[in-house]
Amino acid sequence: MRIFNYTTSLLLLVVLATACKKKDTNTYQVVDTPSYGDNLNKDKAKSNIEFHSILSTNLFQKPSSINELSRTDRVIQSCGDKTLINEVIISNYMNSSNVRLPSRKMMTDSTERFVEETYIRFFIRRPTEAEKTWFINFINANKSNPNFRPELVYTAFAAADEFMFY
Amino acid sequence: MKRRDFVKKAAAITAGSMVLPYILPSGRLFARSNVPKADHVVFVMFGGGLRQQDSILQRYLADSQSYNVEGNILYNMLEGAAPAAKIAYGTTPAGQPNGSQPIPRILSQTLQKQGTIFAEIRAISGGHYGGWNSLITGSRVEGQGLKVRPANPTIFEYARRFGGFKATDVWFLGNTISNSIPLLNSSKHPDFGLQYGANFFAPGITFGGDGYAALSNAKIYHPQEELEPVYKMKNFLDNTFNIKKGDMPGIRNTDEEKTRIKEFIANTFQRQSAGLIPMPPVSGGDGYTIGYAAEVLRVFKPKLLVVNLSNIDGCHSNFTGYLQAMHKADHAMGFLWNYIQTQIPEMSGKTIMTFVPECGRNLKHNPIQDENDWYGYDHGDSNSLRVFGGMVGQNVPSNLMIGNEANPVGKVTDFALTIADILGFKDEVRAAGLIDAQAMSLFDRI
Repeated sequence: MRIFNYTTSLLLLVVLATACKKKDTNTYQVVDTPSYGDNLNKDKAKSNIEFHSILSTNLFQKPSSINELSRTDRVIQSCGDKTLINEVIISNYMNSSNVRLPSRKMMTDSTERFVEETYIRFFIRRPTEAEKTWFINFINANKSNPNFRPELVYTAFAAADEFMFY
Repeated sequence: MKRRDFVKKAAAITAGSMVLPYILPSGRLFARSNVPKADHVVFVMFGGGLRQQDSILQRYLADSQSYNVEGNILYNMLEGAAPAAKIAYGTTPAGQPNGSQPIPRILSQTLQKQGTIFAEIRAISGGHYGGWNSLITGSRVEGQGLKVRPANPTIFEYARRFGGFKATDVWFLGNTISNSIPLLNSSKHPDFGLQYGANFFAPGITFGGDGYAALSNAKIYHPQEELEPVYKMKNFLDNTFNIKKGDMPGIRNTDEEKTRIKEFIANTFQRQSAGLIPMPPVSGGDGYTIGYAAEVLRVFKPKLLVVNLSNIDGCHSNFTGYLQAMHKADHAMGFLWNYIQTQIPEMSGKTIMTFVPECGRNLKHNPIQDENDWYGYDHGDSNSLRVFGGMVGQNVPSNLMIGNEANPVGKVTDFALTIADILGFKDEVRAAGLIDAQAMSLFDRI
């Protein structure tokens, strides 16, 4: 009988020692957010080949061949105004039937999303509020211009100084 | 008003009233320092390295290959009878010996008759890049590295900064993108640099097969409906990025200038396919570059255009080809001068063309023989520092030959200052203190 009491007491002790404890859950209320850089630290110029490799992948959703990139590099070297010649090459790309662009409807109906996605696509960062507001206003102001289309916005981003740096 | 405020305001108004009248439409603050001698300058870097003996001294094969045949193969530039034997400097008709057909002369009067030749000029460098640098910057080339922009300002930067010219007023046409040629349109000097650089094309690339594939299908956007919003957006984006001056990847044209150049590129491909580019009758190589230089002159009527030739440098391994390249370059230059005078009314009679090679060639040959068993010549010895040059056009004395073998007159560093003199900002260039201290305008050497 005494042995039984000892066993029962030991079991009771073990059960009490390993019984449910209150679980402490720390909640920091942090929302998962993708991380993007800003334009402050972009101080390295892309090489001609890097620039056009990234650009053509952006526009065609597939990389250019090294022959095409080398050819483009030579053409850029042959012109004194790099911004200008890049703009001509960009408009050459835009004339291709393989270029993939958002629709005008998407740009005008979901302007904020369009602006954010365009910044992320070209500059790998979100626009600041000021930038977003400026572009939304600019796109809204040009809604009545039938020639104003995503191609022109993409051309401006692709030709911008920031796109030449990383 | 307090007395001190009154004095301050009065002084500011007086200073403003003195300065404002001198802000010229070009954007310059003051009038040019000297009276311009002409409205436009075309500078031909006639080169690749010409041996004095084979060019202006007209010894043809006599001083180079031990054949006693002399004669002038630059008969658009210089007075003198062509060689009477061993004709190998011309073109090659089907079934005929190589180079056996001389190219007919273009100019009715040689450049020597029309202008002034400096028969014996001293070069600064026996190499190409050093030579081009000395021509383009007017400075000595000590400390100048290869594959980097010139250390001292180029004549393009002087022209834009002191002459108040816009980017489309100054052009550099190169025959290649090799040998650091594309770097010569601007220096890396902190007070000048790309913001004052020249527009540059290497026509063999820009308008050749590479350029055709990359540029010829470009859309022509409507200037107001399409380009204007693009530039507004781009300018907004650039303003928020603020690129540093030293990080500029190239020169900058204004939006209007860019639109003009884009139209030029598109039109050039169209004119090219229609056979309308004004090429010398015998074209190819340097002649091709000269043809596109003529096209730039026709469209932009620039204040300053510099064009580089270098096929002559084949002399390292092919003396026959060197003679042919020299003869063709003379033909191309005759064509260019004739084209300016007869086809561009805005420039005819208002232009000065100057020309000089960047270096000469060695006195003694190397061991490489060509198909005629003629020896090649390199460059780098003291004979390579002997060159000739000249100028022709408005206000240039005609039929004048200055200097000779025994009496050298002029230096290659004179050419940048001469261009500054022609366009009216010689004193500013000299005052900047970045050119060869011994350089003079060629007009001051006459």
